[in-house]
Amino acid sequence: MNELVPAFDFQRVFVTPWASDFQGNIWVVLMGFFAITACGLVGQYLVLRRMALVGDAISHSVLPGIVIAFLLLKSRSSGAMFVGALFAAVLTTVLIEFIQKKSRVKQDAAIGIVFTSLFALGVIMVSLFTSQIDLDLDCVLHGEIVNVPLEFPFVQIAGFKLGPASVVRMAVVSVITAVLLMVFYRQLLVSSFDPGLAGSLGVNASVVHYALMGWLSVVVVSCFDSVGAILVVAMLILPATTASMVTDRLPWALASVPLQALLSALGGFHLATWLNCAIAPAMVVASCGLFALAWVFGPVDGQLAKRRRRRANSLPETVLDPVSGKT
Amino acid sequence: MNNTVPLPTPHTPRPAPTDAIPLEVHDLTVAYQKKPVLWGIDLVVPAGKLIGIIGPNGAGKSTLIKAILGQVPVSAGWVKVFGEPLKKNLRRIGYVPQRESVDWDFPVNVLDVVLMGRYGRLGLFQRPRRDDVDVARACLDQVKMLPFANRQISNLSGGQQQRVFLARALAQEADLYFMDEPFAGVDAATESAIIALLQELKSRGKTLMVVHHDLSTAKEYFDMLLLLNMRVVSFGPTGQVFNNELLQKTYGGRLTILTDVAEAVKQQS
Amino acid sequence: MSPSFQETVSSLLARRLGGDAENRATSVFAFDQAGFVRGTFFLVLLLVMACVPTSAQAARVGDVVETGVVQQAIRFFTLRDPSVRYALLGAVLIGVSTGLLGSFIVVRRMAMAGDALSHAVLPGVALGFLWNMSKDPLAIFVGATLAGLLGTAFVSWITSTTRIKEDAALGMVLAGFFSIGLCLMSMIQGLPTGNKSGINSFIFGQAAAIGPTDLKLMAIVTVGAVLGVALFYRQLLVTSFDPGFARASGLPVRWVHHGLMLFLAFAVVIALQAVGVVLVSALLIIPAATAYLLTDRMHRMLAIAVAAGVAAGVAGSFVSFLAPALPTGPFIVLASASLFGVAFLFSPRQGLLLRWWHQRSRNARVACENTLKAIYHLSEAHGFKGEGALVRELAERRRSTLEEELVRIRSLVAAGWATLSDDRAVVYPTPGGWQRASEIVRNHRLWELYLTHAAQISPDHVHEDAEKIEHVLGEELVRELERRLQFATVDPHGKAIPAIGEIRGTAPSRGDTTIGFRRSGP
Repeated sequence: MNELVPAFDFQRVFVTPWASDFQGNIWVVLMGFFAITACGLVGQYLVLRRMALVGDAISHSVLPGIVIAFLLLKSRSSGAMFVGALFAAVLTTVLIEFIQKKSRVKQDAAIGIVFTSLFALGVIMVSLFTSQIDLDLDCVLHGEIVNVPLEFPFVQIAGFKLGPASVVRMAVVSVITAVLLMVFYRQLLVSSFDPGLAGSLGVNASVVHYALMGWLSVVVVSCFDSVGAILVVAMLILPATTASMVTDRLPWALASVPLQALLSALGGFHLATWLNCAIAPAMVVASCGLFALAWVFGPVDGQLAKRRRRRANSLPETVLDPVSGKT
Repeated sequence: MNNTVPLPTPHTPRPAPTDAIPLEVHDLTVAYQKKPVLWGIDLVVPAGKLIGIIGPNGAGKSTLIKAILGQVPVSAGWVKVFGEPLKKNLRRIGYVPQRESVDWDFPVNVLDVVLMGRYGRLGLFQRPRRDDVDVARACLDQVKMLPFANRQISNLSGGQQQRVFLARALAQEADLYFMDEPFAGVDAATESAIIALLQELKSRGKTLMVVHHDLSTAKEYFDMLLLLNMRVVSFGPTGQVFNNELLQKTYGGRLTILTDVAEAVKQQS
Repeated sequence: MSPSFQETVSSLLARRLGGDAENRATSVFAFDQAGFVRGTFFLVLLLVMACVPTSAQAARVGDVVETGVVQQAIRFFTLRDPSVRYALLGAVLIGVSTGLLGSFIVVRRMAMAGDALSHAVLPGVALGFLWNMSKDPLAIFVGATLAGLLGTAFVSWITSTTRIKEDAALGMVLAGFFSIGLCLMSMIQGLPTGNKSGINSFIFGQAAAIGPTDLKLMAIVTVGAVLGVALFYRQLLVTSFDPGFARASGLPVRWVHHGLMLFLAFAVVIALQAVGVVLVSALLIIPAATAYLLTDRMHRMLAIAVAAGVAAGVAGSFVSFLAPALPTGPFIVLASASLFGVAFLFSPRQGLLLRWWHQRSRNARVACENTLKAIYHLSEAHGFKGEGALVRELAERRRSTLEEELVRIRSLVAAGWATLSDDRAVVYPTPGGWQRASEIVRNHRLWELYLTHAAQISPDHVHEDAEKIEHVLGEELVRELERRLQFATVDPHGKAIPAIGEIRGTAPSRGDTTIGFRRSGP
């Protein structure tokens, strides 16, 4: 076991990575930061709409979309990937709804059937065509975030070196995500809270639904290389649930996402350095750690706060007597 | 207790101690996430009565039944069934949950569902025997659903589904019945069939507590009424309890609006 | 008016319009027959399954060494190789246990809980490996089971102590545990010592790696699952269907749930080696959902789910055996998904195609009946004089072209309800056709009368409704309607309602002329 968990050495874990290879490591951390930010922002709405598992399904089923796009268009360009993933995501949502509507199979089973089948299809294609598509099963599983700094040449705009293509892409996606969420804040909020009301206010709930699914697939694809299909699920859900322990206002919850992303990315990176393990899963483990902290200490829904409140006001005083109308 | 009573034959319930009160509830309080739903419920229910539980939406009618049956966590109070804790007398209790509480696509047929009423009487590894099936069929016959015994339950109308639930409760051969909205969403024929059945059960000395939402029929259906709105507003014989003052207290003024609306509709048509 | 009668009518209408009324008339005979149909149907499914590997193999042949594939296939079918025997036996055992437990998962709507549990086992696999630094099946079994149960416990812990909804809690636990597992796995990969080979096969499955110890574990779990389900079938059934009722009748709902989760964890863990962590939930859900589409009874669902699981397992292990690099799990999942697809389309009760077909034939029947009705109306307009109806007049009356009308009449002829003269000018209803026409008109007018009388709907509002009802009313309801309307003879528009006696008469006659039946041609 001693070999498994190396002794904690502050110098090795926190100083050396930055001192020796700042250029390489900063991109890894930034990639994690932008990925968790984008996923976490979209994930807020998934969790609000109780569609966390649809998010799970889509993050798995973009795989065959990506692979088919690679094979058909013979290119590894972002555009091809986005198109393939978008197609797969829409197919997933449509199939789930179709199975649900046209048979007595319930939503949970329909989700389980669709995404596992599509993911299986993707895995088979990856293992058959590994050489042609430059993707392997490890990458599907947990991504290759360590490869991010190796992407050369860096993206350049007006002669200014921005960074590795995937990091730049991820950054752009997360900025666009933030902007979109701000612009369409009202539409998203009202259609998540009360689709019926949304209709009467002129917000087409199903358009919002499909737009959200579509954008979700874009986000998932842009971090697919780095974090793989399954870890994305954690990045979608964890920031939202952690935030719900800490605040019960949506704007604050959304604002907390970048902070959580920063902590998770940095924490995960150092955790991975310490334990010599894969970086992307370590970032998710760090997110889990954040959740655990919020679970215990969160001021809104945390266990300690709850216990304190329960002790402070014992039941009867808070009750409005329904008969007399007095407290 | 068990030792003194001679072993019963399989299908006759343990004879009740004649003096035992079917249901006694003391200071029952239930809270969901800190919000109280039921508060300090005290009840002593006499035997052989058909009792309606009425109150506005969210008054805790279903919760009361679930709390008595130990299905929701209780913050305070206790429940005695036939003078003993609930667990000892589960076999003497029949339960009809709300029809919406189950998945009607479930792969069982009508007879399977009614047979479930016998399960509480079977031992751990015991399978339902021939006479259990006979009892189930007889109960189905009582609610006039025998011709549907082999039907998958999703192919039934709302009224038929409710009859199946009733037959299942009958198959429990209980002494104290709890029914959660057995008249919800059923047609008039089923409703009158159900009430006739309930009357018959009552005449056989059973005690029935029925959650009901229709004030217009409450008066004629029930011997006793429990007016509930988070706490017991009133509990007593229908004649004494069913008056405007108490009903208004129960429905918190909302009733007057309802009657106004009803008046307006009547005048319109 | 009696609401109960209306309820009967409307429920009947809803059912007739919505689904296959014929299927619902259940007699013992029809029931057995349905069982037989399902049985044979399933055999067909199995045959279809047998074809699946062939096509997949074809796709594979192009880019791998051809002889290798053929040799591997021969090795597989002759069962000479012990690893093939192990893989096959393993697939069968896994199919049985996941089919049984998955059925309960699906009807309890816990499909996603199964998914979360199966992802949550990964850290346990890694820890089990660390136990003595080798792929010891027993240690991995224990570790994975514990991790899976811990994950399930976390889900219920999170949902009960916070406002987080179940879907989010499942997703968190699923991905959180999985990432811990991945970290541990990558740490193990970095270790200088130990036999690390084969640990990756737990993620996507490698049926060929199933060893004798794995098999023993599988056999124990499967026998346990079969015994458990057989002994506690009643408890499982009632707690799945109606937990509130089960609790009220004193059944140990919570223990049944925990027992089910325990065996679910066992089933997931023994399936890991063949299917892999990522896709094992599919094996729980898909065969059970397939069975759910095919039958209405729980015990049959269990049997079909087991059969589907076994079939998918065998097919998947065969395909992945053909080439060394192919993971087994995805193929098993695809095989069971194609089974589901077949059931989804062709299931006798739920199938999309069958329902489409029913709808089509219903529409065809309604179209025929409308033509018959038009013929009736035409001959009524002529005072029931003369035989048959002129096609030209029929077309004018229904504002359609002659050709359209002829197409409709041909389908009448095909159904045996009418004959057409050789010059295609006159259509003669057969006695059966005339009777059906009279019935339809009677139904239409009776319903109009009922609506105007009993429901006080004005006569100019009732026609549309009657247009639908006329095709649906059965003989019993018609009798009831007639009784309620005191055997009225005239509809709200002043037209005569054909009486039952006249309809039943062999010679359809009204007024002074006998009309209808005449054979065309020699």
